[in-house]
Amino acid sequence: MEYLDQIIGLFSDFSNPKKRVFVGYLGLSVLIAFLWLILFQKTSLRTALARIFDRKVFFSSSAMTDYKIFLINRIFTGFISPLLLTQVAIATAVYMALVRSDLTLWGAYEHVSKPLVVAMFSVAMFLADDFTKYLMHRWMHRWPALWSIHKVHHAAETLTPITVYRIHPLEGVLYASRNAVAQGSVISVFYYLFGNTVDLYTVVGVNVLVFVFHVTGSNLRHSHIDIRYPRWLEHVLISPAQHQLHHSIAEEHYDKNYGAALAVWDWVFGSLHVSDGQKDMKFGLRDDEKHPATSLLTAYFTPLREIYDMSRATIGRLTSKARQRLRLPRHHAAERDAQN
Amino acid sequence: MNRSLKLGTSLVAAMLLSSAAYAESYGPYPITEKSYSGDKTNSVSYSGQVARNVMIDSLKKLAGKANGGANAEELKATMMLYFARANKEDLAIVSHEGKDGFPIKQTMVNEISSSSNLVGKTYGGLVPGYPGSKTGAEVVEHMIHHAAMSDGGVDYDLGYDYGQLIQKFLIGAVSYNQIVDNYLDEKMTAGNKPNNKPYSDGAAYTGKEHSWDEGFGYFGAPAHALDLDANQAYGISKKKELAAGDANGDGTIDLKSEMTFGNAYYAADADKSGTDYLHTITSAFIEGRKVITSADGAALTDAQLSQVQALAATIEDEMTKVLAEATFKYAGSVYKDIEKIRADKANIDDKVYRDYIKHWGELKGFAMALQTGRENLGGTAVRLNRLIGYGPPTKDESVVTGIDADGNFVKEGKMSWNTYQLNMLKVQDLLLKEFGLEARKNDGTENLAALVKELDTDSGGAETD
Repeated sequence: MEYLDQIIGLFSDFSNPKKRVFVGYLGLSVLIAFLWLILFQKTSLRTALARIFDRKVFFSSSAMTDYKIFLINRIFTGFISPLLLTQVAIATAVYMALVRSDLTLWGAYEHVSKPLVVAMFSVAMFLADDFTKYLMHRWMHRWPALWSIHKVHHAAETLTPITVYRIHPLEGVLYASRNAVAQGSVISVFYYLFGNTVDLYTVVGVNVLVFVFHVTGSNLRHSHIDIRYPRWLEHVLISPAQHQLHHSIAEEHYDKNYGAALAVWDWVFGSLHVSDGQKDMKFGLRDDEKHPATSLLTAYFTPLREIYDMSRATIGRLTSKARQRLRLPRHHAAERDAQN
Repeated sequence: MNRSLKLGTSLVAAMLLSSAAYAESYGPYPITEKSYSGDKTNSVSYSGQVARNVMIDSLKKLAGKANGGANAEELKATMMLYFARANKEDLAIVSHEGKDGFPIKQTMVNEISSSSNLVGKTYGGLVPGYPGSKTGAEVVEHMIHHAAMSDGGVDYDLGYDYGQLIQKFLIGAVSYNQIVDNYLDEKMTAGNKPNNKPYSDGAAYTGKEHSWDEGFGYFGAPAHALDLDANQAYGISKKKELAAGDANGDGTIDLKSEMTFGNAYYAADADKSGTDYLHTITSAFIEGRKVITSADGAALTDAQLSQVQALAATIEDEMTKVLAEATFKYAGSVYKDIEKIRADKANIDDKVYRDYIKHWGELKGFAMALQTGRENLGGTAVRLNRLIGYGPPTKDESVVTGIDADGNFVKEGKMSWNTYQLNMLKVQDLLLKEFGLEARKNDGTENLAALVKELDTDSGGAETD
């Protein structure tokens, strides 16, 4: 019986509306994909069905690796979830720093109408979350050590909703920490200003804005259904096609579209690339990354090996620099020679 | 061979089991004083300290008997006897009266000890948290004077619960102070109360033995405290847990060795939240007494002295933390009370206001108690006193600012509920940083923590874009 519970536990994300792969969101994503294909791509019903449930995608060796990583990582989640406590610690630390500060704003706005506070809080939580996701994602691509970790995700050659779980456990830790810092700070600042009025607008227990993101097809970002938005909208929201482009192997698509829900961050910081209608984009990594899509060993151990090598090289560089510094300056050497 | 092995194993197992079931008590300890010629066999004695703990608690009870002025003079005289009796007057134990299902052996203080009073043992330094530059004893006398004139020990207009203020302050100003600044301090140095002389002529105990015992007596733990868990030790004081408290099984609670008082009570209270103050402090007392006993009536060697002093330092640290935990707890209570008051400032509920004043009395009493130790808390004390003030905001947000030349309280300040509630958070923050507290009862950030957990935002975990 216990075994059964544990096995069911492995798949609990599918029944949790806080998770992207909640069955309800998956179902809506299928519906959206279906409508997109029929109404905008003018495909037949039969073709649409065949495209959505494409065996070549869902049973590709890359996707099979996604599934395995999903299952293996579920075991790591047990190590990650205690970080929820950290969020309390961060929130408390930020809050007490504000209490200690000379700001005299403690509870200063607690009489502001509740709906307004809740609306502002819901938006602030969403923005803080989305912006820090953007930042973290950008760093994951631009810092070599972080890229080693994030490559695990980009090694996927086919994209399915489960690809969100194709991730090195270290990245999971980083993401959970980011979440704790971002949301812990927003909660504490709001609590400091507005006291017990603070609350979230939620639907099925989820921030209403996150809910909107999910019901409008967040699962299609990792899929082969390249839904595009009008050009202006792709400056505000990241479309599935824009995120697929982020996974593209083509050089012009490198380091573009880091955003999660909002495209404005990419737009402001110059990494935006609107979808260009390019068919049959190739996903994955270049050969010189030496990171095959299907190797579990590579997925879990190569990032560690690469980070180890990088730190050794850095330490080596630093010690040789230090040695050079410690050498006698030139004129001292000349004096010494003269004395001899 | 086989049989003796079995027997040996069973014996060892039985010993282990019995030691697990019955942890060590504080005493009895043999008589090591060579000059003693009487027929006592136990050198442990701390009845004077128990009597003082009883009188401290009785003062709180007595304050409650004030009836708005009619009995002021008489009540003040009675309270002053409990505080400063000089002629062995026998006094009723009003704080610990037995009841059905919880009989208590003694009913009069002199059944415990007749020679002790509180005033001679009250902190002699100035008490900066109290208006009027008064010594510890002067503070108590001033409070007794006002308590006797109050209504049920409480002045709603000033925001004072005198019973709480007096009792909590004395837990520090007498019991804690006598331990950390006297019996376990200078009396544990080589020249003072040496172990090769009786504590006083003809006594059954040496100077060091009795000094140490007095320390334990002031702490207020039952002798068998190591046998009790936090709830039991706490429960005895609440007149529950008769079976746990009645160590000798005679069906009554002997206040001299089976009751939990003052400092030990608040150690147990904190321990209900997972700390181990009561056992740590009691163990240190037992260990120290064993070191002293092991000297067998000779002067303590340097090694023994430093062992005893190290244990005394542990006791001081832990007891100080216990007082800080209690201050922290009541700052949190006041914080929560103000939360309720602010919900409807114009119509403050009587019960809420009564609780608030009670909690403030406990907070203020403990905050002052904390400042009666051996060490000057310096800037921490200044900040603590400024944050807490001389009085709490009362119904119209006015606060006591001092006392006039006649000793009457002056209430000329204003303090908003909001500011004062924030001050309570700052008090907790200060105590946390200064004393490294662990029990942290009534933490003012509980609501924030609850909010974070309630929002239970998806911790991200194993997914990425």
